[in-house]
Amino acid sequence: MSTLIDLAGVTKVFGSGAGAVHAFGPVDMTIEDGEFISLLGPSGCGKSTLMLMIAGLLGITKGEITLAGRNVTGPQTDIGIMFQDNTLVPWRTVRGNIDLQLEMRGIDPASREDDVEELLRSVHLEDFQERFPHELSGGMQQRAAFCQAMVHKPKTMLLDEPLGKLDAMTRENIRKDLQSLWMQKRPTVVFVTHSIEEAIQLSTRVAVITPRPGRIERIIDIDLPFPRDFDVKSSPEFTAYVRETQEIFRNYGVI
Amino acid sequence: MASSDKPSLLMRASDTIVRSWMFIAFFIGFFLFWEYAVVWFDIPRYILTPPSLIVQKGAADLDRLLYYTYVTGLETVLGYVVAIVLALPIGLAIAFSTILRRTIYPFLVCIEMVPKIAFAPLFISWLGFGLLPKVIIVFLVCFFPIVLNAILAFNSLSEELTRFARSTGASAWTTFLKIRLPAALPQCFVGFKYAAINATVGAAIAEFIGSDEGLGFYIQIVTGNMRPDLAFAGIFFLTLLGLGLFGIVTLAERLLIPWHISVRRTTH
Repeated sequence: MSTLIDLAGVTKVFGSGAGAVHAFGPVDMTIEDGEFISLLGPSGCGKSTLMLMIAGLLGITKGEITLAGRNVTGPQTDIGIMFQDNTLVPWRTVRGNIDLQLEMRGIDPASREDDVEELLRSVHLEDFQERFPHELSGGMQQRAAFCQAMVHKPKTMLLDEPLGKLDAMTRENIRKDLQSLWMQKRPTVVFVTHSIEEAIQLSTRVAVITPRPGRIERIIDIDLPFPRDFDVKSSPEFTAYVRETQEIFRNYGVI
Repeated sequence: MASSDKPSLLMRASDTIVRSWMFIAFFIGFFLFWEYAVVWFDIPRYILTPPSLIVQKGAADLDRLLYYTYVTGLETVLGYVVAIVLALPIGLAIAFSTILRRTIYPFLVCIEMVPKIAFAPLFISWLGFGLLPKVIIVFLVCFFPIVLNAILAFNSLSEELTRFARSTGASAWTTFLKIRLPAALPQCFVGFKYAAINATVGAAIAEFIGSDEGLGFYIQIVTGNMRPDLAFAGIFFLTLLGLGLFGIVTLAERLLIPWHISVRRTTH
Protein backbone atom coordinates (compact mmCIF):
# COMPACT_ATOMS: atom_id res chain seq x y z
CA MET A 1 0.00 0.00 0.00
CA SER A 2 1.08 3.53 -0.66
CA THR A 3 0.26 6.78 1.05
CA LEU A 4 -2.79 8.47 -0.47
CA ILE A 5 -3.50 11.27 1.96
CA ASP A 6 -0.83 12.96 4.01
CA LEU A 7 -1.61 15.42 6.80
CA ALA A 8 1.30 17.50 8.14
CA GLY A 9 0.68 19.86 11.04
CA VAL A 10 -2.89 20.49 9.89
CA THR A 11 -4.50 23.19 12.04
CA LYS A 12 -7.79 25.04 11.83
CA VAL A 13 -8.52 28.30 13.61
CA PHE A 14 -11.88 29.98 13.08
CA GLY A 15 -11.95 33.76 13.25
CA SER A 16 -8.99 35.92 14.24
CA GLY A 17 -7.70 38.13 17.04
CA ALA A 18 -9.29 37.84 20.48
CA GLY A 19 -12.34 35.98 19.15
CA ALA A 20 -10.32 33.27 17.42
CA VAL A 21 -11.35 29.69 18.15
CA HIS A 22 -8.67 27.04 17.86
CA ALA A 23 -10.87 24.27 16.49
CA PHE A 24 -8.49 21.61 15.31
CA GLY A 25 -4.93 20.36 15.27
CA PRO A 26 -2.08 20.36 14.80
CA VAL A 27 -2.48 16.86 13.41
CA ASP A 28 -0.10 14.59 11.52
CA MET A 29 -1.40 11.45 9.89
CA THR A 30 -1.05 9.39 6.75
CA ILE A 31 -3.88 7.48 5.14
CA GLU A 32 -2.96 4.53 2.96
CA ASP A 33 -4.42 3.68 -0.41
CA GLY A 34 -7.40 1.33 -0.06
CA GLU A 35 -7.85 1.55 3.69
CA PHE A 36 -11.05 2.29 5.57
CA ILE A 37 -10.21 4.78 8.27
CA SER A 38 -12.69 6.18 10.76
CA LEU A 39 -12.42 9.57 12.38
CA LEU A 40 -14.10 8.83 15.70
CA GLY A 41 -15.00 11.45 18.26
CA PRO A 42 -17.78 13.28 20.06
CA SER A 43 -19.70 16.03 18.29
CA GLY A 44 -17.80 19.29 18.09
CA CYS A 45 -14.39 17.59 18.11
CA GLY A 46 -13.51 18.82 14.64
CA LYS A 47 -13.78 15.54 12.75
CA SER A 48 -16.10 17.05 10.12
CA THR A 49 -13.80 20.06 9.91
CA LEU A 50 -10.90 17.74 9.12
CA MET A 51 -12.95 15.95 6.46
CA LEU A 52 -13.88 19.23 4.78
CA MET A 53 -10.22 20.30 4.81
CA ILE A 54 -9.19 17.06 3.10
CA ALA A 55 -11.92 17.70 0.49
CA GLY A 56 -10.48 21.18 -0.06
CA LEU A 57 -13.82 22.74 0.84
CA LEU A 58 -12.49 24.46 3.95
CA GLY A 59 -9.23 26.38 4.15
CA ILE A 60 -6.36 25.15 6.32
CA THR A 61 -5.01 27.72 8.79
CA LYS A 62 -1.62 26.05 9.16
CA GLY A 63 0.02 22.89 7.84
CA GLU A 64 -0.38 20.94 4.63
CA ILE A 65 -2.58 18.24 3.16
CA THR A 66 -1.43 16.16 0.22
CA LEU A 67 -3.90 14.03 -1.71
CA ALA A 68 -2.49 11.55 -4.25
CA GLY A 69 0.76 13.52 -4.35
CA ARG A 70 -0.87 16.90 -4.95
CA ASN A 71 -1.17 19.71 -2.47
CA VAL A 72 -4.78 20.41 -1.50
CA THR A 73 -5.43 24.11 -2.11
CA GLY A 74 -9.00 24.07 -3.44
CA PRO A 75 -11.98 21.74 -3.92
CA GLN A 76 -10.89 18.22 -4.88
CA THR A 77 -13.00 16.88 -7.71
CA ASP A 78 -11.73 13.30 -7.91
CA ILE A 79 -13.28 12.22 -4.62
CA GLY A 80 -16.77 11.19 -3.55
CA ILE A 81 -18.32 13.01 -0.60
CA MET A 82 -21.34 12.25 1.53
CA PHE A 83 -22.24 15.26 3.62
CA GLN A 84 -23.90 15.22 7.04
CA ASP A 85 -27.17 16.40 5.50
CA ASN A 86 -27.62 14.58 2.25
CA THR A 87 -27.34 16.52 -0.99
CA LEU A 88 -30.35 14.99 -2.72
CA VAL A 89 -32.27 17.79 -4.41
CA PRO A 90 -36.06 17.63 -3.95
CA TRP A 91 -36.86 18.38 -7.60
CA ARG A 92 -35.17 15.26 -8.97
CA THR A 93 -35.93 11.57 -8.55
CA VAL A 94 -33.41 9.15 -7.07
CA ARG A 95 -32.17 8.44 -10.58
CA GLY A 96 -32.12 12.15 -11.42
CA ASN A 97 -30.12 12.90 -8.30
CA ILE A 98 -27.51 10.32 -9.21
CA ASP A 99 -27.37 11.70 -12.75
CA LEU A 100 -26.92 15.20 -11.26
CA GLN A 101 -23.43 14.25 -10.07
CA LEU A 102 -22.58 13.18 -13.64
CA GLU A 103 -24.20 16.20 -15.30
CA MET A 104 -22.36 18.59 -13.00
CA ARG A 105 -19.14 16.95 -14.19
CA GLY A 106 -20.08 17.21 -17.84
CA ILE A 107 -20.59 13.45 -18.20
CA ASP A 108 -23.56 12.30 -20.28
CA PRO A 109 -25.69 10.13 -17.93
CA ALA A 110 -26.78 7.99 -20.90
CA SER A 111 -23.19 6.79 -21.25
CA ARG A 112 -23.20 5.53 -17.65
CA GLU A 113 -26.63 3.91 -17.58
CA ASP A 114 -25.33 0.42 -16.81
CA ASP A 115 -23.11 1.66 -13.98
CA VAL A 116 -26.00 3.53 -12.39
CA GLU A 117 -28.22 0.43 -12.64
CA GLU A 118 -25.56 -1.69 -10.99
CA LEU A 119 -24.99 0.86 -8.27
CA LEU A 120 -28.72 1.06 -7.53
CA ARG A 121 -28.92 -2.73 -7.32
CA SER A 122 -25.97 -2.89 -4.94
CA VAL A 123 -27.88 -0.74 -2.41
CA HIS A 124 -31.29 -2.33 -3.18
CA LEU A 125 -32.81 0.81 -4.69
CA GLU A 126 -33.47 -0.48 -8.20
CA ASP A 127 -37.26 -0.37 -7.65
CA PHE A 128 -37.19 3.14 -6.22
CA GLN A 129 -35.21 5.01 -8.84
CA GLU A 130 -38.20 7.00 -10.11
CA ARG A 131 -39.23 8.07 -6.59
CA PHE A 132 -38.57 11.53 -5.23
CA PRO A 133 -36.48 11.90 -2.05
CA HIS A 134 -39.50 12.89 0.05
CA GLU A 135 -41.17 9.59 -0.87
CA LEU A 136 -38.31 7.60 0.66
CA SER A 137 -37.46 6.60 4.22
CA GLY A 138 -34.38 8.11 5.86
CA GLY A 139 -32.41 4.94 5.21
CA MET A 140 -33.33 4.84 1.53
CA GLN A 141 -32.42 8.51 1.20
CA GLN A 142 -28.96 7.78 2.57
CA ARG A 143 -28.59 4.84 0.18
CA ALA A 144 -29.51 7.16 -2.69
CA ALA A 145 -27.10 9.80 -1.41
CA PHE A 146 -24.41 7.13 -1.31
CA CYS A 147 -25.02 6.31 -4.99
CA GLN A 148 -24.87 10.02 -5.80
CA ALA A 149 -21.53 10.29 -4.02
CA MET A 150 -19.88 7.42 -5.86
CA VAL A 151 -21.44 7.31 -9.34
CA HIS A 152 -18.39 9.05 -10.81
CA LYS A 153 -16.21 6.19 -9.48
CA PRO A 154 -13.95 8.10 -7.12
CA LYS A 155 -10.99 6.23 -5.67
CA THR A 156 -11.36 8.16 -2.41
CA MET A 157 -14.57 8.58 -0.44
CA LEU A 158 -15.20 10.97 2.41
CA LEU A 159 -18.31 10.04 4.39
CA ASP A 160 -19.44 12.50 7.07
CA GLU A 161 -21.71 10.65 9.54
CA PRO A 162 -23.78 9.16 6.73
CA LEU A 163 -25.74 6.99 9.15
CA GLY A 164 -25.98 9.55 11.95
CA LYS A 165 -29.67 10.25 11.66
CA LEU A 166 -30.89 6.68 11.17
CA ASP A 167 -32.37 4.21 13.62
CA ALA A 168 -30.19 1.40 14.96
CA MET A 169 -31.63 -1.36 12.76
CA THR A 170 -31.36 0.64 9.55
CA ARG A 171 -27.80 1.62 10.49
CA GLU A 172 -26.85 -2.03 10.96
CA ASN A 173 -28.34 -2.88 7.59
CA ILE A 174 -26.56 -0.12 5.68
CA ARG A 175 -23.24 -0.83 7.45
CA LYS A 176 -23.40 -4.34 6.04
CA ASP A 177 -23.92 -3.06 2.48
CA LEU A 178 -21.24 -0.41 2.92
CA GLN A 179 -18.78 -3.04 4.05
CA SER A 180 -19.44 -5.40 1.17
CA LEU A 181 -19.18 -2.54 -1.32
CA TRP A 182 -15.85 -1.50 0.17
CA MET A 183 -14.57 -5.09 0.09
CA GLN A 184 -15.56 -5.38 -3.58
CA LYS A 185 -14.16 -2.11 -4.91
CA ARG A 186 -11.57 -1.24 -2.25
CA PRO A 187 -11.76 2.56 -2.44
CA THR A 188 -10.02 4.58 0.24
CA VAL A 189 -12.67 5.59 2.73
CA VAL A 190 -12.48 8.32 5.37
CA PHE A 191 -15.49 7.71 7.59
CA VAL A 192 -16.58 10.31 10.14
CA THR A 193 -18.62 8.89 13.02
CA HIS A 194 -19.36 9.25 16.70
CA SER A 195 -20.28 5.59 17.13
CA ILE A 196 -17.46 3.52 18.64
CA GLU A 197 -18.99 0.25 17.56
CA GLU A 198 -19.59 1.47 14.02
CA ALA A 199 -16.00 2.68 13.67
CA ILE A 200 -14.55 -0.62 14.88
CA GLN A 201 -16.89 -2.75 12.81
CA LEU A 202 -16.12 -0.99 9.52
CA SER A 203 -12.53 0.21 9.72
CA THR A 204 -9.05 -1.01 9.16
CA ARG A 205 -7.92 1.81 11.45
CA VAL A 206 -9.70 4.11 13.86
CA ALA A 207 -8.37 7.60 14.57
CA VAL A 208 -9.68 8.55 18.00
CA ILE A 209 -10.20 12.30 18.18
CA THR A 210 -10.54 14.27 21.41
CA PRO A 211 -12.08 17.73 21.47
CA ARG A 212 -11.14 21.38 22.15
CA PRO A 213 -9.02 21.62 20.16
CA GLY A 214 -9.60 18.47 18.09
CA ARG A 215 -6.53 16.22 18.20
CA ILE A 216 -5.86 12.66 17.19
CA GLU A 217 -5.36 10.98 20.55
CA ARG A 218 -4.53 7.54 19.21
CA ILE A 219 -4.77 5.56 16.00
CA ILE A 220 -5.92 2.00 16.61
CA ASP A 221 -5.31 -0.77 14.07
CA ILE A 222 -8.38 -3.00 13.96
CA ASP A 223 -7.03 -6.46 13.30
CA LEU A 224 -10.24 -8.39 12.71
CA PRO A 225 -11.25 -10.44 9.67
CA PHE A 226 -13.68 -9.06 7.08
CA PRO A 227 -16.62 -9.30 6.65
CA ARG A 228 -17.34 -8.31 10.19
CA ASP A 229 -20.72 -9.83 10.86
CA PHE A 230 -22.51 -10.55 14.13
CA ASP A 231 -20.07 -13.31 15.05
CA VAL A 232 -17.12 -10.96 14.84
CA LYS A 233 -18.99 -8.28 16.75
CA SER A 234 -19.67 -10.61 19.65
CA SER A 235 -16.07 -11.87 19.77
CA PRO A 236 -13.85 -10.99 22.76
CA GLU A 237 -11.38 -9.25 20.41
CA PHE A 238 -14.07 -6.86 19.20
CA THR A 239 -15.14 -6.15 22.76
CA ALA A 240 -11.53 -5.45 23.69
CA TYR A 241 -11.27 -2.80 20.94
CA VAL A 242 -14.50 -1.20 22.13
CA ARG A 243 -13.12 -1.14 25.69
CA GLU A 244 -9.81 0.35 24.63
CA THR A 245 -11.60 3.15 22.78
CA GLN A 246 -14.03 3.81 25.59
CA GLU A 247 -11.12 4.08 27.99
CA ILE A 248 -9.59 6.91 25.97
CA PHE A 249 -12.82 8.89 26.00
CA ARG A 250 -13.37 8.14 29.68
CA ASN A 251 -9.89 9.33 30.61
CA TYR A 252 -10.58 12.44 28.63
CA GLY A 253 -13.86 13.04 30.45
CA VAL A 254 -15.96 12.76 27.31
CA ILE A 255 -17.95 9.77 28.58
CA MET B 1 -47.33 9.13 -0.55
CA ALA B 2 -47.22 7.34 -3.90
CA SER B 3 -48.40 9.42 -6.81
CA SER B 4 -49.31 6.52 -9.07
CA ASP B 5 -52.85 5.97 -7.76
CA LYS B 6 -54.37 9.42 -8.16
CA PRO B 7 -58.11 9.67 -7.50
CA SER B 8 -60.25 11.05 -10.31
CA LEU B 9 -60.92 14.77 -10.58
CA LEU B 10 -64.59 14.26 -9.67
CA MET B 11 -63.72 12.27 -6.56
CA ARG B 12 -61.26 14.90 -5.45
CA ALA B 13 -63.79 17.69 -6.02
CA SER B 14 -66.49 15.94 -4.00
CA ASP B 15 -63.89 15.20 -1.34
CA THR B 16 -63.06 18.90 -1.13
CA ILE B 17 -66.73 19.81 -0.78
CA VAL B 18 -67.24 17.29 2.02
CA ARG B 19 -64.17 18.49 3.89
CA SER B 20 -65.05 22.17 3.63
CA TRP B 21 -68.81 21.95 4.18
CA MET B 22 -68.60 24.14 7.25
CA PHE B 23 -66.92 26.89 5.28
CA ILE B 24 -69.48 26.59 2.46
CA ALA B 25 -72.34 26.72 4.97
CA PHE B 26 -70.83 29.80 6.63
CA PHE B 27 -70.31 31.44 3.24
CA ILE B 28 -73.93 30.90 2.23
CA GLY B 29 -75.08 31.96 5.70
CA PHE B 30 -73.13 35.20 5.42
CA PHE B 31 -74.88 36.21 2.20
CA LEU B 32 -78.30 35.14 3.51
CA PHE B 33 -77.73 37.28 6.61
CA TRP B 34 -76.72 40.22 4.42
CA GLU B 35 -79.76 39.72 2.18
CA TYR B 36 -82.24 39.76 5.07
CA ALA B 37 -80.43 42.13 7.45
CA VAL B 38 -80.80 44.89 4.89
CA VAL B 39 -84.57 44.34 5.01
CA TRP B 40 -84.90 43.72 8.78
CA PHE B 41 -82.87 46.73 9.83
CA ASP B 42 -84.48 48.82 7.11
CA ILE B 43 -81.18 50.04 5.67
CA PRO B 44 -81.69 52.56 2.87
CA ARG B 45 -80.78 51.26 -0.61
CA TYR B 46 -78.34 54.11 -1.20
CA ILE B 47 -76.28 52.92 1.80
CA LEU B 48 -76.30 49.15 1.27
CA THR B 49 -78.15 46.88 -1.12
CA PRO B 50 -78.91 43.17 -0.70
CA PRO B 51 -76.75 40.72 -2.73
CA SER B 52 -79.68 39.74 -4.94
CA LEU B 53 -80.02 43.32 -6.14
CA ILE B 54 -76.25 43.58 -6.73
CA VAL B 55 -76.45 40.56 -9.05
CA GLN B 56 -79.52 41.94 -10.80
CA LYS B 57 -78.22 45.48 -11.36
CA GLY B 58 -74.70 44.28 -12.09
CA ALA B 59 -76.02 41.97 -14.80
CA ALA B 60 -77.89 44.90 -16.35
CA ASP B 61 -74.63 46.87 -16.57
CA LEU B 62 -72.53 43.86 -17.63
CA ASP B 63 -71.14 45.35 -20.85
CA ARG B 64 -69.58 48.29 -19.08
CA LEU B 65 -68.28 46.10 -16.22
CA LEU B 66 -66.67 43.64 -18.63
CA TYR B 67 -65.00 46.39 -20.63
CA TYR B 68 -63.66 48.04 -17.48
CA THR B 69 -62.46 44.67 -16.21
CA TYR B 70 -60.47 44.42 -19.43
CA VAL B 71 -59.04 47.93 -18.94
CA THR B 72 -58.01 47.35 -15.32
CA GLY B 73 -56.84 43.84 -16.18
CA LEU B 74 -54.53 45.20 -18.87
CA GLU B 75 -52.99 47.71 -16.43
CA THR B 76 -52.58 45.03 -13.78
CA VAL B 77 -51.06 42.38 -16.03
CA LEU B 78 -48.70 44.82 -17.79
CA GLY B 79 -47.43 46.24 -14.48
CA TYR B 80 -47.10 42.76 -13.00
CA VAL B 81 -45.24 41.28 -15.96
CA VAL B 82 -42.86 44.25 -16.23
CA ALA B 83 -42.19 43.91 -12.48
CA ILE B 84 -41.24 40.23 -12.87
CA VAL B 85 -39.16 40.87 -15.99
CA LEU B 86 -37.14 43.61 -14.26
CA ALA B 87 -37.09 42.30 -10.68
CA LEU B 88 -35.69 38.84 -11.42
CA PRO B 89 -32.46 39.90 -13.16
CA ILE B 90 -31.97 42.75 -10.69
CA GLY B 91 -32.52 40.38 -7.76
CA LEU B 92 -30.11 37.92 -9.32
CA ALA B 93 -27.45 40.60 -9.83
CA ILE B 94 -27.78 41.80 -6.24
CA ALA B 95 -27.63 38.25 -4.88
CA PHE B 96 -24.37 37.52 -6.66
CA SER B 97 -22.59 40.87 -6.44
CA THR B 98 -21.11 42.04 -3.16
CA ILE B 99 -20.93 45.64 -4.39
CA LEU B 100 -24.60 45.69 -5.39
CA ARG B 101 -25.56 43.99 -2.14
CA ARG B 102 -23.92 46.80 -0.22
CA THR B 103 -25.29 49.64 -2.34
CA ILE B 104 -28.55 48.93 -4.14
CA TYR B 105 -29.88 46.33 -1.70
CA PRO B 106 -30.08 48.61 1.41
CA PHE B 107 -31.47 51.31 -0.88
CA LEU B 108 -34.25 48.95 -2.02
CA VAL B 109 -34.99 47.97 1.57
CA CYS B 110 -35.36 51.68 2.46
CA ILE B 111 -37.65 52.32 -0.51
CA GLU B 112 -39.67 49.26 0.49
CA MET B 113 -40.58 51.13 3.70
CA VAL B 114 -42.24 53.88 1.65
CA PRO B 115 -45.87 53.13 0.83
CA LYS B 116 -45.60 52.98 -2.96
CA ILE B 117 -49.19 53.94 -3.42
CA ALA B 118 -48.32 57.40 -2.06
CA PHE B 119 -46.50 58.06 -5.34
CA ALA B 120 -49.68 57.54 -7.32
CA PRO B 121 -50.86 61.20 -7.44
CA LEU B 122 -47.38 62.28 -8.58
CA PHE B 123 -47.31 59.82 -11.45
CA ILE B 124 -50.80 60.84 -12.51
CA SER B 125 -49.76 64.51 -12.50
CA TRP B 126 -46.57 63.75 -14.43
CA LEU B 127 -48.00 61.33 -16.97
CA GLY B 128 -51.70 62.09 -17.23
CA PHE B 129 -54.81 59.94 -17.15
CA GLY B 130 -53.72 57.21 -19.56
CA LEU B 131 -52.51 53.65 -19.26
CA LEU B 132 -48.85 54.39 -18.48
CA PRO B 133 -49.12 55.91 -14.96
CA LYS B 134 -51.34 52.97 -13.86
CA VAL B 135 -48.89 50.42 -15.22
CA ILE B 136 -46.08 52.21 -13.37
CA ILE B 137 -48.00 52.19 -10.09
CA VAL B 138 -48.86 48.49 -10.39
CA PHE B 139 -45.21 47.90 -11.25
CA LEU B 140 -44.06 49.77 -8.12
CA VAL B 141 -46.42 47.78 -5.90
CA CYS B 142 -45.27 44.46 -7.41
CA PHE B 143 -41.58 45.09 -7.95
CA PHE B 144 -40.41 45.17 -4.33
CA PRO B 145 -41.85 41.92 -3.00
CA ILE B 146 -40.59 40.13 -6.12
CA VAL B 147 -37.08 41.57 -6.03
CA LEU B 148 -36.61 41.13 -2.27
CA ASN B 149 -37.83 37.53 -2.37
CA ALA B 150 -35.62 36.84 -5.40
CA ILE B 151 -32.56 38.13 -3.54
CA LEU B 152 -33.46 35.95 -0.56
CA ALA B 153 -34.08 33.00 -2.89
CA PHE B 154 -30.75 33.18 -4.66
CA ASN B 155 -28.85 33.75 -1.41
CA SER B 156 -30.25 30.90 0.61
CA LEU B 157 -28.77 27.79 -0.99
CA SER B 158 -27.78 25.37 1.79
CA GLU B 159 -24.11 25.14 2.70
CA GLU B 160 -24.24 21.44 1.93
CA LEU B 161 -25.45 21.93 -1.66
CA THR B 162 -22.95 24.74 -2.18
CA ARG B 163 -20.17 22.38 -1.12
CA PHE B 164 -21.56 19.58 -3.26
CA ALA B 165 -21.51 21.88 -6.30
CA ARG B 166 -17.93 22.96 -5.59
CA SER B 167 -16.80 19.36 -5.14
CA THR B 168 -17.96 18.49 -8.66
CA GLY B 169 -15.81 21.21 -10.23
CA ALA B 170 -18.83 22.42 -12.24
CA SER B 171 -18.80 25.91 -13.72
CA ALA B 172 -20.77 28.72 -12.09
CA TRP B 173 -23.21 28.58 -15.01
CA THR B 174 -23.83 24.82 -14.71
CA THR B 175 -24.25 25.18 -10.95
CA PHE B 176 -26.73 27.98 -11.52
CA LEU B 177 -28.81 26.05 -14.05
CA LYS B 178 -28.84 22.70 -12.28
CA ILE B 179 -28.88 23.70 -8.61
CA ARG B 180 -29.23 27.39 -7.77
CA LEU B 181 -32.12 28.22 -10.08
CA PRO B 182 -34.41 25.27 -9.23
CA ALA B 183 -33.58 25.65 -5.53
CA ALA B 184 -34.55 29.34 -5.68
CA LEU B 185 -37.91 28.90 -7.42
CA PRO B 186 -40.09 28.24 -4.33
CA GLN B 187 -38.94 31.45 -2.61
CA CYS B 188 -39.36 33.38 -5.89
CA PHE B 189 -42.96 32.22 -6.04
CA VAL B 190 -43.57 33.62 -2.56
CA GLY B 191 -42.81 37.02 -4.08
CA PHE B 192 -44.84 36.36 -7.25
CA LYS B 193 -47.90 35.39 -5.23
CA TYR B 194 -47.65 38.28 -2.80
CA ALA B 195 -47.30 40.69 -5.72
CA ALA B 196 -50.26 39.10 -7.53
CA ILE B 197 -52.48 39.76 -4.52
CA ASN B 198 -51.43 43.40 -4.38
CA ALA B 199 -51.37 44.16 -8.10
CA THR B 200 -55.11 44.92 -8.38
CA VAL B 201 -54.92 47.13 -5.29
CA GLY B 202 -52.36 49.27 -7.11
CA ALA B 203 -54.46 49.44 -10.27
CA ALA B 204 -57.68 50.33 -8.42
CA ILE B 205 -56.10 53.09 -6.34
CA ALA B 206 -54.36 54.55 -9.37
CA GLU B 207 -57.75 54.71 -11.08
CA PHE B 208 -59.36 56.33 -8.03
CA ILE B 209 -56.87 59.15 -8.27
CA GLY B 210 -57.21 59.96 -11.91
CA SER B 211 -58.76 58.05 -14.78
CA ASP B 212 -61.68 57.98 -17.17
CA GLU B 213 -62.14 54.22 -17.41
CA GLY B 214 -61.49 51.03 -15.46
CA LEU B 215 -63.05 49.33 -12.44
CA GLY B 216 -61.56 51.80 -9.94
CA PHE B 217 -63.01 54.65 -11.95
CA TYR B 218 -66.35 52.83 -12.12
CA ILE B 219 -66.53 52.16 -8.37
CA GLN B 220 -65.78 55.80 -7.60
CA ILE B 221 -68.35 57.18 -10.05
CA VAL B 222 -71.24 54.87 -9.05
CA THR B 223 -70.52 55.47 -5.34
CA GLY B 224 -70.79 59.19 -6.03
CA ASN B 225 -74.15 58.50 -7.65
CA MET B 226 -75.40 56.68 -4.52
CA ARG B 227 -75.34 53.33 -6.26
CA PRO B 228 -73.73 50.89 -3.77
CA ASP B 229 -75.23 47.99 -5.76
CA LEU B 230 -73.06 48.85 -8.79
CA ALA B 231 -70.06 49.61 -6.56
CA PHE B 232 -70.29 46.08 -5.17
CA ALA B 233 -70.60 44.70 -8.69
CA GLY B 234 -67.39 46.59 -9.56
CA ILE B 235 -65.69 45.22 -6.44
CA PHE B 236 -66.82 41.74 -7.44
CA PHE B 237 -65.13 42.01 -10.86
CA LEU B 238 -62.01 43.51 -9.29
CA THR B 239 -61.88 40.52 -6.94
CA LEU B 240 -62.31 38.15 -9.88
CA LEU B 241 -59.41 39.87 -11.61
CA GLY B 242 -57.18 39.43 -8.55
CA LEU B 243 -58.24 35.82 -8.14
CA GLY B 244 -57.60 35.17 -11.82
CA LEU B 245 -54.06 36.52 -11.62
CA PHE B 246 -53.37 34.64 -8.39
CA GLY B 247 -54.80 31.48 -9.95
CA ILE B 248 -52.52 31.73 -12.97
CA VAL B 249 -49.48 32.22 -10.74
CA THR B 250 -50.50 29.28 -8.55
CA LEU B 251 -50.98 27.13 -11.64
CA ALA B 252 -47.52 28.13 -12.89
CA GLU B 253 -46.14 27.19 -9.46
CA ARG B 254 -47.70 23.75 -9.64
CA LEU B 255 -46.32 23.17 -13.12
CA LEU B 256 -42.83 24.49 -12.38
CA ILE B 257 -42.19 23.19 -8.87
CA PRO B 258 -44.54 20.22 -8.31
CA TRP B 259 -41.87 18.77 -6.01
CA HIS B 260 -42.05 21.58 -3.49
CA ILE B 261 -43.62 21.02 -0.11
CA SER B 262 -46.01 24.00 -0.29
CA VAL B 263 -47.41 22.64 -3.56
CA ARG B 264 -47.52 19.02 -2.38
CA ARG B 265 -49.52 20.01 0.70
CA THR B 266 -52.26 21.64 -1.34
CA THR B 267 -52.56 19.08 -4.11
CA HIS B 268 -53.33 15.91 -2.22
